[in-house]
Parts: sequence; structure tokens; C-alpha cells
Amino acid sequence: MKQHPLCTDCENPATPLDLPIPEGLKRDWTALETRRHFLGRSGKVLGWAALAGLFGELGLRSFANGADSSSVSAEKRNGPGLPHFAPKAKRAIYLFMSGGPPQMDLFDYKPNLASQFNKDMPDSVRGNQQLTGMTAGQAHFPVAPSHWPFGQHGETGAWVSSLLPFTARMIDDLTIIKTTNTDAINHEPAIMLMNTGNMNAGKPCLGAWLAYGLGSMNDNLPTFIVLQTKTNPKENNQPVSARLWSSGFLSSEYAGVGLRSGADPVLYLADPAGVDRTVRREMLDTVEQINRETLAEVGDPETNARIAQYEMAFRMQSSVPELTDLGQEPQSTWDLYGPEARHPGTFAYNCLLARRMAERGVRFTQIYKRGWDVHNDAVGMLPILCRETDRGAYALVTDLKRRGLLDDTLVIWAGEFGRTVYSQGGLTQDNYGRDHHPRCFTTWMAGGGVRPGITYGETDEYSYNVVKDPVHVRDFNATVLHCLGIDHSKFTYKFQGLDQKLTSPVPAHVVEGLLA
Amino acid sequence: MIAGHKLIAAMRNLRFRNVPPRWLFTLVMSVLLVMLPFALPLDGQPHADWLQFLGRFHPLLVHLPIGMLVLLPVLELAGTTRLALRQAAGFVLLLTLAIGAITLVFGILLAYGSGVMGVTVTRHMWGGIALLVELMLCVAVRPAWASGQLHRIYPSLLALTLLTLTWTAHQGGSLTHGSDYLTRYAPGPLQKLFPSASAASDAAYVGSVYARNIHPILDAKCVSCHGASKEQAGLRLDFYELLMRGGRDGAVVALRNPDQSLLLQRVTLSPSDRHFMPAEGKTPLTTDEIAALRAWILAGASPTAVSIPGIFTARENTELRLQPVGDYSSLMNEIRQMQHSESAKLVAVSATPSDGLILRTNDVASKFDDAQLARFQEFAPFIVEAELGRTAVTDTCFDTLSKFSNLRALHLEGTGVTGRAMAKLSPLAQLSYLNLSGTRVTSDALAPLKGMPNLRHIYLFDTPAEPASTAADRSTQ
Repeated sequence: MKQHPLCTDCENPATPLDLPIPEGLKRDWTALETRRHFLGRSGKVLGWAALAGLFGELGLRSFANGADSSSVSAEKRNGPGLPHFAPKAKRAIYLFMSGGPPQMDLFDYKPNLASQFNKDMPDSVRGNQQLTGMTAGQAHFPVAPSHWPFGQHGETGAWVSSLLPFTARMIDDLTIIKTTNTDAINHEPAIMLMNTGNMNAGKPCLGAWLAYGLGSMNDNLPTFIVLQTKTNPKENNQPVSARLWSSGFLSSEYAGVGLRSGADPVLYLADPAGVDRTVRREMLDTVEQINRETLAEVGDPETNARIAQYEMAFRMQSSVPELTDLGQEPQSTWDLYGPEARHPGTFAYNCLLARRMAERGVRFTQIYKRGWDVHNDAVGMLPILCRETDRGAYALVTDLKRRGLLDDTLVIWAGEFGRTVYSQGGLTQDNYGRDHHPRCFTTWMAGGGVRPGITYGETDEYSYNVVKDPVHVRDFNATVLHCLGIDHSKFTYKFQGLDQKLTSPVPAHVVEGLLA
Repeated sequence: MIAGHKLIAAMRNLRFRNVPPRWLFTLVMSVLLVMLPFALPLDGQPHADWLQFLGRFHPLLVHLPIGMLVLLPVLELAGTTRLALRQAAGFVLLLTLAIGAITLVFGILLAYGSGVMGVTVTRHMWGGIALLVELMLCVAVRPAWASGQLHRIYPSLLALTLLTLTWTAHQGGSLTHGSDYLTRYAPGPLQKLFPSASAASDAAYVGSVYARNIHPILDAKCVSCHGASKEQAGLRLDFYELLMRGGRDGAVVALRNPDQSLLLQRVTLSPSDRHFMPAEGKTPLTTDEIAALRAWILAGASPTAVSIPGIFTARENTELRLQPVGDYSSLMNEIRQMQHSESAKLVAVSATPSDGLILRTNDVASKFDDAQLARFQEFAPFIVEAELGRTAVTDTCFDTLSKFSNLRALHLEGTGVTGRAMAKLSPLAQLSYLNLSGTRVTSDALAPLKGMPNLRHIYLFDTPAEPASTAADRSTQ
């Protein structure tokens, strides 16, 4: 007697075999149910378990992390199995000279250029390079030697322009790279490439990668903080946007947190009148509960990021006022950083703040200084730019050094590209302008992981092409990651079907010659 | 008086009637053997060449009696079931004694003839004599044991002989191969059981060219024969003062004159020359090593100079190699819990667990005090870096910190420590970084740190030891 497929008969319960499904599926089902199959599978499971035991935490950590949801916040703190090896530097401070500082006016000393004044740069030097729209139309490319004398400084006798008297004093602590080079010739793609390893927007920047990979050292402050220097209206300021400290495809928790350059670094940080800490706490707890319900319902990981950011904001209500209260700084600080450091928003103030953040466990601080885009009136603008930045950078490195922080802090000074040796627009005895130049530019690093007192790489007579030891932006970033204990080639995040990296897609390598 | 008479009578009985002749022989030979070193004292002077010629057969012959002696207990044990083997054991014992005696004579000829001296040589010699005496005793008591009269004496005597053999053979091995021959490539934990003598030696000149470049050459190529264990030609090269004192042939280093320095002459001879060093087929010095020795002597052979032209002192050498801290996986649960709570945290230095843990207090800095620090004692050997900057710890913290045996970096900046108990840090051999900026530490309080071998970075900015005002002056000059 044929039974209805879904009839609930206790003596002859319906099985999937009774269902009107294809015969193939029924065969599969039967195959799965045999005792032999069960035992075979159990054996394999035991084998895998034994293997997992043998490999221990080393081999299968990544699987374990994926399976165990309670380890998510541990991963947030420790990163995905990072650092790969014991790092020299725990944190980094990046002084970003937006606009492109002219290397031959600051570090790349070319004494022979004086005799080339106003002569056309040989075509062979430029080759078939495509220029920017600003100078491509020029009939002549007159060589403009630097307006300023250079001198040798420190025990290493490195050449530094008289524009940077303070930097010259710490020259033995610096690792100067004369051969940094980039692919882009215009600001936006070049600054994106420098920060995110890609000219197109949408990739995480160095700071976000570090925040994701290495995690926080202080739960009360953001892991990655961005400080902008107040613009000087006389200077040619190129825009600096939040794309540069974006977390790209990583969770928004890892994006840089910008502090305002005014007296109030974070707006609306103080509780409004009549709201005390308890009320604020209760409100946040309720909001978190609602957010958790939303997360359960929708499953968007960005909800997690939002919960984390509410909590961070609550903790910052007490940690940020303490961070920015410079009242306790001794007189020696002001002697070192100079009087400008007392004014919020100046480069020197930001450098002092960066030191205080380093002490308090901020993983990555990036200070942006705009205005280096000296297409014309270089002679008028460079002394202003150098006066604004020279002492702050020197004070930061020196302060970190005397306080014992430079051992495990990496300080980086870089722009997005260099500038041309030939003058943009008219060259006179007193003045010149310089166009963008991607083929070589000078950057420096100092502190944990890099070798102090060296000058790396050589450029040609015109500071135009690299002659020896080029350091591409990707190699530069790979080296920075190495100092922080990260193997750039293993530090990946799967997105859009690719193992995304800070240094992809072209192979990059760590520059061994820069390492301590 | 009566008792005395009885004793004498008993002894008389013992000597002349009941004692078999082999006992007499054993007694006489033992006395002669013990006298031998006094008859031929090792005075560090070489003697007739034929003595050495015969003596050099000692290392050749020595392994034969060793092998037979090791075979002996096997035969005796197997003899309980097979009688033939027990009979063979008696023969092997006699043979061991005979060849052992020849070996001993050759050994003493070698030492006396070549003029070698040193602690290990003396130990090895006395070990050999003891071994021979024990073997003779074995021969003397074995018949009684074999016939079932005395059950215990012979087996225990044999065991003692084997122990003596092990010890003596080790001394001999140390003489030919160097004292750390067995332990040099041992796994880490095993090495801790055998602290290496050469690694610790001459720590007085840490950081100098001598310590970094010269001493390691001598240690690797010369000290196995010219060291504490074996003083060939009365010369020791394991300490600076002894190197400068020279040996039997006088000083080996002529200041600023490498060509007149015996040390350099001997290593630059033709390898076929009988005075060429290192002798007896040991690895010669490389050209780089010879160049380093030459440059060092030319510059005045100073033990303290930190840089000498011509000697490459790699910066890398100044960095400490990370010591593995051991296994803390049993504590992982606690460590994970900490990371979820609002407290100080333990964070891994890297993905390699044996790189150790960092004690991180940033989150709770102002609330972190000595009592909280004391709670981390459980993790003491695994913490390589303690970030205690700006915390509420006081001088009491040194009690706990002294137990952090693998500590490499210690941050105490901006804390209330005065440095009174600083001496408690001295057992921390790995400590290389100490930050005391912004504390009340005086320069006197730092005195106990002077002897710490690896402590290279001490920061004292803004302390009574280095006031901020002077530091500021210096930095703006």
C-alpha cells in the first residue's frame, strides 16, 4: 500500500527516500548513510584533529580564528597573526610634505649645476618623458641651480641646504633616501600612491593597514590619528582629503581619526550641560543594544564599526583633553620646539602632539603640511616653508631620542614627488619655479629599524634620474612595514577575489641597505 | 697494651699468612702509582723528545681499555646464564688492566714530555691513576666473588670504576676537543644546564674591539690548548691580562709591532712548519682573522678601544640576539582574558610565541601600581618588555621586576621611582634598554647598573642625573 510521502506514521517514518526527488540525490543520501562511510569520515576527522594538534597554533591559527567568533576582539588587538617577526619599531610618525618638496634645494646637493645656470637641460636627460601640462609647452628647459648654499654636517658629513639649519643638526640620526621615485606626475594620483600604494581611490592607506594589522596599543585613543597643519594662504596649497587616511575595503574602524587644528581638537567632545557621565554611559549602552539588534537583523559588519566608534568617542572624552593639555610640558620642551609650538595648528605644535601621542600608545600619527607646490617664486616660498617645518621635525626627532622613544618609533619625512631641476616659467637671477618630478625625490626616515647616518642612492648631475639604488614608493612602503615587523608580501586582505596588499600589484622588495 | 698486642698479632697474621700475593702486588703498585706524579712533576717544561714520541701513542691506545672496560659488566651480567661468558670476563679484566697500565704510562710520558699543564690535565692524570688502582682491586676481589664468597664488593667496585672512567674520559675529551665540545650545539634548554665557560670569560671589556673581534678569534682557535684547562707552553689566551703576560717563550704580543709579535708569527708560518699554530691539524686562522689581529696589535693592543682602523665592527653585532623565552601556552587562557578586560595586558612580541610577551599598561597607566605589577609574577620569565611608563609604580616595583628573568626593555619614564632599589635589576642579564626619563633618579643610584653586560641604552632625560636644562642646552648647541 502506497503511503503519502509526508504521512506521519510512527511505525514507518517517512525518510528522504520516500520524497519525490531525483534518483541521483537518493543515491547520494544512501551513500552518506552507510556505516562504512560514517567510520571512514570519522577516521578523517580524527586525522585532521591530530594534524591540528601537531601544527599547534602555528599552522592552523588562521582557521581557528575564523571559526571562533569570540576571538574577534583579540584579533582586533593583536592583528591577524602579526607582527610576523619581532619588530624594531612599535609605532610610526609620518611627516607628510604635501605638494612635493624640491630635492635639489634641500638635500640633493648638485654643485656642478651652478655653471649650467640658464642653459637648456640636455634632451638626453629627459628622454621621452611626458611632462605635465604646466611645462610641456615650454620651448626651453633652463637649468635653475639652487639659490641656497649647502654645507656638510654631522660626523657623516652629509650635505644639507642652509634652508634647513635645524635638520642639519640631527643629520647623523637620519637615513636619507635620495632615490625615492614614483609612477605619477600629478598630485592626486601621486599622493594616493604614496599613501595607499595605488593611484586609484578605494584602497586602505598605510595607517589603516597598520591599525588593522598591528592593532591598538591604547584603547582610550584612536590607533591612527591624522593632524593637519593650518594652511598658510600665501602658499600654493594642494587639497588633502580624507581619502588619504581612508580604510578602503578594511573596516572603517581602521580609518585615520583627524584631530582639528584649532583649539578644540575634537568638536562636541565635552558632554552637554546637564548630561553627566552616567547618563551618557546609559545612553550609549542602549544605543549599543539597538545596534546589536540591527547587526543580528541585517548582518552588516559596518554596524560593528559603528559600535566600536561610539565606545571610542566615549573614552576619548577623557583621554583627548589630557592628550592636548600642554600645561605640564617643562620649559625644555618649549626651548626645543620653539615658541610656535604654543599655537595649535602649527607644524611644531603638531610635532609636539605627535610625541605625546607616541608616549600614550598611538600606533600611527600622520602630520600633513601643505604648500610645497612651488611652481613659481620658489625663492620666495621655500624659506617660509622651511621655517615652518624645519624646527618642528628636528625637535620631534631630538625629543623622541632624548626621551628614549626613538629606539622603537619610526619617523618618516616624505612628499608625494620631487621637483624639476629646470625652471618652470621665466628663470631670473633671483627667482625660479619648479614643476613636478616623479623620477627621483629625497625622503628621510629616522629611528626604529633604519640605519642612522647614511645617505642612500645616487642621482645624476641634474638630480633628474636615478643612477644607483632606486627606491620605488612600493619598496619604500615595504621597508616601512618591515621596520614594524611585517612581511609586506604576507600581509594581505582578501577583497574582490584578490589577496590585496599595500605593495601590490607590482612586486616590491624591502630595501636592505636602509635597515639597521 | 693488650689490645695493642692483639692488633699487631692480627696484622702479622694478615700480612704473612692469609693475604694472597696479588693483594701485596696491588698494594705495592698502588703506592708506586700514587708516587709517580711526584716523581715526574708537570712543571710546564718539555723534556726529551723520545718521551713525547711514546707519549703520543696514548690517545691511540686509550680507546682499547675503555672499550674492554665497558664490555666487562655486559659479560658479567650475561655470565649469570652462560658460564663461558663469565670465564671470559675474568680474562677481559686482566687484559684491561694490562693495556690500561701501558696507556697510563704513555699518558704520563705525553704530559711530562710535552710540558703541558693545567687543571684539566691534572684531573685527567689523577683520574687515570685512580682507574688503574680500582682495576687492580677488581682483579684482587673478583675470585672471591666468582666463587660465591663476597657478593657485594666486586659489583660495587666495578660500578665505581665505570663512573671514574666516565669522568676521566670526559676530562681527556675536553683536552683534545675543548671543554664545551659536547654542549656547544646542544638545544637551548639543555645548554642552560651547562653554562659555557668561554662565553662568560673576559666580560670585563664588553663592547671593545678586543671583546668583539679579538677575543672570539682566540677563543675559537687557540684557547682549547692555551686556556684554563690546558696550558700548552705555559701560555694562556683566554684573558687579556694572561695574553699580555705571555708564556714560557716570553711575551707573545709586541705593542705596535705585529711582525715582532710571537702570536702573529706563529699563525703566519708555513703550515708545514713544526711551530705553526694552531698545531696538530686544527683549523688555521683565516686571512681576515690574521688581519684583525695585526690591526689590533698595530693600534696598541688596547683592551678597551671601541674602534680601530682596519677592523670592521659591524653595527649588527651590537644588537642582542633574541633569547627564546620558553613555552607559556598553558597560560594562554589567562592572557586572552586580560585582553578583553580593562586592565594591563600581555601582548605577543610577534607571531612567534617564543619571542615573548610585552606587558602593556597604556590603557590603565595612572591606576597601575606595584600590587598590580606583582600579579604578573606568574608570567615573569615570559615578559621581555615591561611598559610601565607613566604608571603609579614606586621603588617597590623592583622586587617584582627582578624576577622578570628575560626582560630586555624596561620603561619607567615619568614614574615615582627614585632608583634606591636599582641593584635588584642586576640579575637581569638580558636587559638592554632602561628608560628612567622624568623620574627622580640620581646618578649615584645608577652605580649598581655598571656591571650589567647588555645594558646599552639608559635614558635619564629630565632627572636629577641629567636635568632638562642641561639637556636642552646641549641639544640646541
